[in-house]
Amino acid sequence: MRRIGFVLFAFSLIVGAFAGVTAGGYVLGGLAEAHLFQGAHRLVMLLILMLVMVMVIATLLTAAERKWSALMQNRIGPNRAKLFGSPLAGLGHTAADVLKMLTKEDFIPAAANKALFILAPMLAFGSAFALFAVVPAGPSVEVMGHTVDMVVGTPDFGILYLFAIASIAVYGTALAGWSSNNKFGLLGGVRASAQMVSYEIALGLSLVGLMMTFSTVQLPQMVGEGLGQGQFQYVWGNAAAMGEGGGFDIGLPAWGLFLQPVGFLLFFAASFAETKRAPFDVPEGESEIIGYFVEYSGMKFGLFMISEFVEIVVLSGVITVLFLGGYHLPFGELWLRSLPVMQEHGWLLGTVLGTVFWLKVLALIWLQLLIRWSLIRFRYDQLMSLGWKVLLPLGLVNVFVTGALLLWDPTLQWMTGLGLLVLSALFVLSVTGPASDETEETAHGASDHDRDHGDTPSNLGGGAKHTLPDSHHADGDLEAAARAAASLSH
Amino acid sequence: MAYQASRDPSSEIRVRTYLPDLAKGLAVTAKLFFRNLFGTRDPNVEVVDREGLSRVTTVQYPEEKMIQPPGYRGLHRLVPREDGKPRCVACYMCATICPAQCIYIEAGEYETTDPSNESQVIEKYPTRFVIDELRCIVCGLCVEACPKDAIRMDTGVHTPSEYTRADFVYDIPKLLKGPPVSHPSDPWNRRQGSAAPAHQPAEKHARIGDGRAPEGGHLEAGHVPAAALPATSSSPKTPPAQVHHFEK
Repeated sequence: MRRIGFVLFAFSLIVGAFAGVTAGGYVLGGLAEAHLFQGAHRLVMLLILMLVMVMVIATLLTAAERKWSALMQNRIGPNRAKLFGSPLAGLGHTAADVLKMLTKEDFIPAAANKALFILAPMLAFGSAFALFAVVPAGPSVEVMGHTVDMVVGTPDFGILYLFAIASIAVYGTALAGWSSNNKFGLLGGVRASAQMVSYEIALGLSLVGLMMTFSTVQLPQMVGEGLGQGQFQYVWGNAAAMGEGGGFDIGLPAWGLFLQPVGFLLFFAASFAETKRAPFDVPEGESEIIGYFVEYSGMKFGLFMISEFVEIVVLSGVITVLFLGGYHLPFGELWLRSLPVMQEHGWLLGTVLGTVFWLKVLALIWLQLLIRWSLIRFRYDQLMSLGWKVLLPLGLVNVFVTGALLLWDPTLQWMTGLGLLVLSALFVLSVTGPASDETEETAHGASDHDRDHGDTPSNLGGGAKHTLPDSHHADGDLEAAARAAASLSH
Repeated sequence: MAYQASRDPSSEIRVRTYLPDLAKGLAVTAKLFFRNLFGTRDPNVEVVDREGLSRVTTVQYPEEKMIQPPGYRGLHRLVPREDGKPRCVACYMCATICPAQCIYIEAGEYETTDPSNESQVIEKYPTRFVIDELRCIVCGLCVEACPKDAIRMDTGVHTPSEYTRADFVYDIPKLLKGPPVSHPSDPWNRRQGSAAPAHQPAEKHARIGDGRAPEGGHLEAGHVPAAALPATSSSPKTPPAQVHHFEK
């Protein structure tokens, strides 16, 4: 009970922190708009969203990744670096990491290209960081008489900004590998660049369907600022019949996940590969293969590492905005907006919806960590064939099917129907089938059947004895024994 | 034609589309995550006997320690006698058998004119007994070799860290620890006033010439009677040995 209480308390702290920073962002934005020039709230959003939210979440994520991955692996995780006498859920280790990276010797190889060597981590980190500039983290509300948008920039080209900045991230990797003057680093850099370039195409294609669906490339419009725009509409719902009454609206929201599930999966997979995150982390390898940052030390290396975590947060933000409805509630939002207290205090509505956004981001971050620590790494040829032979054709098919459905039915209902069909087919395939029993057993075998491992040698001996007289080859012995042991242990 | 690196034989739809099995794998990890997040870890050091929702298998050293089996080899110690001196008689058995040659002994002899009469019972003692713990391979052969139960590895700890290599060279003050040990077979445990020691050695056959009359008055089969032997410098009939009593 204490443990559950502690966990819920920690979670409520996180939610409270999100709400507090969002509220502070709105209030400060309103103040800036009122006292400084028009548009000054965007500068406040630059500070609050990118410097405070993204950077702090990325830093805490270094500690959270260790703890959460430990929990997934039946361990505890780091709890020995104590601050003020308490382990503080691994935050002492984060502080120690930062201090270590700042105080380590920062050397440049003798024959390395100095300018590019220093530039590479800047490009990698800067592009990851700058991706968040177009992500709307909350609704546009009236604060102190001025409109405050929770977004840093709303260029006309919206999503194309994401693709452009993601391409600059490739430069960081390639330059890091090349300028190290190290053959292993060069190969690592080339490997990483090839991977990132091949998945950029899948990245772009997967979003074309979404752009066609919502008829816009600008992210705030895709999220939907007014009812009926973007994802702020119900495909089958009672919103139209409700009027201004203030009843509770319920229905299937037009989120990208339901409209374009194939696009969601393609974009998710392609973005994993862009960020070189497991299972696509062949360039990094982490203790198995020399990557492109082999010659880097100290904070330059730290920038590469932190850029990976920043990319996790930014990516979760982008996916939330595109596919999970951004800051919108799945139902009941019209009711919330019609409440008098919300209409009077715009920042309160902004805080509630902004917290919803960050909670969705947190859920996606957790999902990314889960995927990282559950899936084994792809082999390089599997990785490349996945990008070119699977994701690219699927993206094209998605574009054509989406276009056809939109022509037939512009009200998005057929497309949602197909999307729900795809999702339910995947769900049914996942929970049924012969493959489920095997994986269940091997999963439970990890902890329950530890004692069986002690018996396996005797099984192997028994099996080997049976096959010894009639087989001539040593391989045949081993294979037969292995088969016998496998059948015995099952 | 490029070499086909992966020949995927399965045509089952769940395997070809990756996603269903992927989702099941993620479900397993997610289940573990929530179990370990909301469950409290059972601190039982017998990890297989742990109960509870949490599956965490960690043993939090040094607050919790794994149970050491009997005979577990740890740091060496020299075993003291009742009077505080080490039981070691500097016989060099341990130093000889040590595979890492990490024991260095210098022997000293008790003077026969020693007022405590220790030389009546024990002749030698180690003036220097040095073990280089960095060289030790923790094999336990020294413990097995010692005839006097003077060195043991039962401290239950391992070599603690030091700042210099010199601090790892342990001498007698650093090695001598533990309660005093006294066995009935020790030479100073012979009862006062008895001609024979309290503890009879296991071998029934007594060697010729140590002063003890053989059992039954005749030698065992296979041995040539003493009188039939050619005369040697050492007389077969020696006077009975003097048994020295150790006066405490």
